[in-house]
Amino acid sequence: MTHIAPQMWAPAVRDSAAAEVIAAPSLTFWQDVRKRLWANKPAMLGLGFIILLVLAAIFGPMVSRHTYFEQNLKLSNVPPLFQTYEVTDSAGATTRFFFNSGNLNLYEVTPSGEVAGLLRPAKKDLIKKQQQFKFGYHEVLLDTAKQQLSFADGTALAPTGWQWNMSNVLGTDQLGRDVLARQLYGARISLTVAFVATLVNFFIGVFYGGLAGYLGGKADTIMMRIVEVISTIPLTLYVILIMVVFNSGFLSVVLAIGSVYWVDMARIVRGQILTLKQQDYVAAARTMGASTPRILIRHLLPNSVGPILVTLTMLIPSAIFIESFMSFIGLGVTPPEASWGTLTSEAVETLRAYPYQLFFPAAAISLTMFAFNFLGDGLRDALDPRLRT
Amino acid sequence: MTAYVVQRLLLMLVTLFAIITLTFFLMHAVPGGPFTSEKMLQPEIQAALNAKYHLDDPLWLQYLNYLKGVLSFDLGPSFKYAGMSVNEIIAEGLPVTMKTGALALICVVALGVPLGIVAALNRNRWPDTLVMVIATIGVAVPSYVIATVALYVFALRLGWVPTFGLDDWRGYFLPVFALSGFWISFIARLARSSLLETLQQDYMITARAKGLKRGTVLIKHGLRNSLIPVVTVLGPVVANLLTGSFVIEQIFALPGIGRHFVLSITNRDYTAIMGITIFYAAVLMVMIFIVDMLYLVLDPRIKYRADAK
Repeated sequence: MTHIAPQMWAPAVRDSAAAEVIAAPSLTFWQDVRKRLWANKPAMLGLGFIILLVLAAIFGPMVSRHTYFEQNLKLSNVPPLFQTYEVTDSAGATTRFFFNSGNLNLYEVTPSGEVAGLLRPAKKDLIKKQQQFKFGYHEVLLDTAKQQLSFADGTALAPTGWQWNMSNVLGTDQLGRDVLARQLYGARISLTVAFVATLVNFFIGVFYGGLAGYLGGKADTIMMRIVEVISTIPLTLYVILIMVVFNSGFLSVVLAIGSVYWVDMARIVRGQILTLKQQDYVAAARTMGASTPRILIRHLLPNSVGPILVTLTMLIPSAIFIESFMSFIGLGVTPPEASWGTLTSEAVETLRAYPYQLFFPAAAISLTMFAFNFLGDGLRDALDPRLRT
Repeated sequence: MTAYVVQRLLLMLVTLFAIITLTFFLMHAVPGGPFTSEKMLQPEIQAALNAKYHLDDPLWLQYLNYLKGVLSFDLGPSFKYAGMSVNEIIAEGLPVTMKTGALALICVVALGVPLGIVAALNRNRWPDTLVMVIATIGVAVPSYVIATVALYVFALRLGWVPTFGLDDWRGYFLPVFALSGFWISFIARLARSSLLETLQQDYMITARAKGLKRGTVLIKHGLRNSLIPVVTVLGPVVANLLTGSFVIEQIFALPGIGRHFVLSITNRDYTAIMGITIFYAAVLMVMIFIVDMLYLVLDPRIKYRADAK
């Protein structure tokens, strides 16, 4: 038995005015949605990440020192972080360099951490698998089989420390292009494809679904049967077929994704309109002589905006995913243009020697998917009237 | 019931017909014939090739012939592999794709559902959190990222599994894992939320109040009802396992249909693209049909009528 304080047994004060007081502030539906969305931490984190990403995609390529297509084959596959070695020659000049174990080259590094260029071996002995480098009178031997650096007398060279690559902050790819610049440009392409394709889907889906739902009857049945037929096979297959017809490229990706993924949107809009058009305010509007387009645009669509918004936020990540999927199997944007899909597939080619190259595109796309998923989940919860407090 | 099945079968035929027509005209809308990509052919050879594959016929005749071929299960010759028919390409790749796909499907059901149940029964405790964190990762990270990271870690670094091929039974691990990762997570989330909803139903309390054992209530009343949404997504799961195989078979170099499909795309082998698409469509329609029938068995409330739906 829990103990109940004696004053709890006292009768409550009856006050007719107090009964009328509204305890919670009166909120409109959208104020309530906004409040609940703001309270949702993962969704807000996702939104913040998306905003940062969009800003980076817009302004990043402008301020970047490198362009996404500029190649420098001498500086290919340079890592973002490396261990430096130093050798002082007889004249007192110190050469700082690092060893790239992927392609067995030595690169000179400036004191500020920029990659100055390739060091040419004075002698290459392919049988002993040794390369000889000369720094004044000093000789440094590079054993390519053991991946070891030593002086001519056999003492091993000790690394002097770690250095972050200052000329290419995220390193370079197999053609010596700056990874950061390509990442930013890839984000630009991937996001543009996603947003434009989603917008196209939005218009087609809302128009088609709205029309089917509003017309109802035979027209609705036929229109929805068509949607059913279309969605029998995976939409990815249509995108592939369309890409084959139009050849790869930025525009055709947008076109292909935009012209296929509207079916879900159409279904949701139709369902919404079907229930909403029974409402009295629609009948009232019709009695007052409102035209069909006006009823659709002014009365029905604004009221179904919640589910449409949720579908939109979920469409964007799937568009990003489909685009990268297409690029991955070689049907997306054409080189030298980059998207997260092409960047990942390029990284897979060099996975054995430079596994870290996979990290940036994989992380970028995964984080973006997380962000959109969290935002979409948060929006869905915020818009769900059943969860309203 | 019979009327419903008949109607479904008819609709399937119509759908298949629409897809055949669509793919045929899409592939014939591609600028240039199938042989334009090759080095400049002599006009006579070009004409001979066209005549051999009946490409000089009017389009409607080609279409009718193709339709006739598909109806008799003949998807025509491949344009790029001389002497190889599309049927042979499919027959060659089918076992591989079927094996990995079936294993992935088993994984999806056998891992996804129990994970969801464990999460739901331990709501807001650590098993739930763990499952939900894994499931969130699985839903957000694209399959090809999972595949390549797994390939690097388990095949290249640790060397536990071969990097490509299926000669070794361990070769199945990574492709199946990468293929099913998304859907295991998806099903786990779905099963969790569905079971949570079912657990709050009044009939669960009634059953307990009448003295049934916890386990009996959970299995007979809880699970059976909460698994219906899971069964409905199995159709899309099969479809996505098929399209997922494009990338997975590419990454792990498995000689399945998905890889052949991607190859025929890069080779611009139009008959192969057309044939494999139609094959996919047919397989999927049959699978979705089976799933719908399963749904009917599981949920006795649903009585399909020909006019309903």
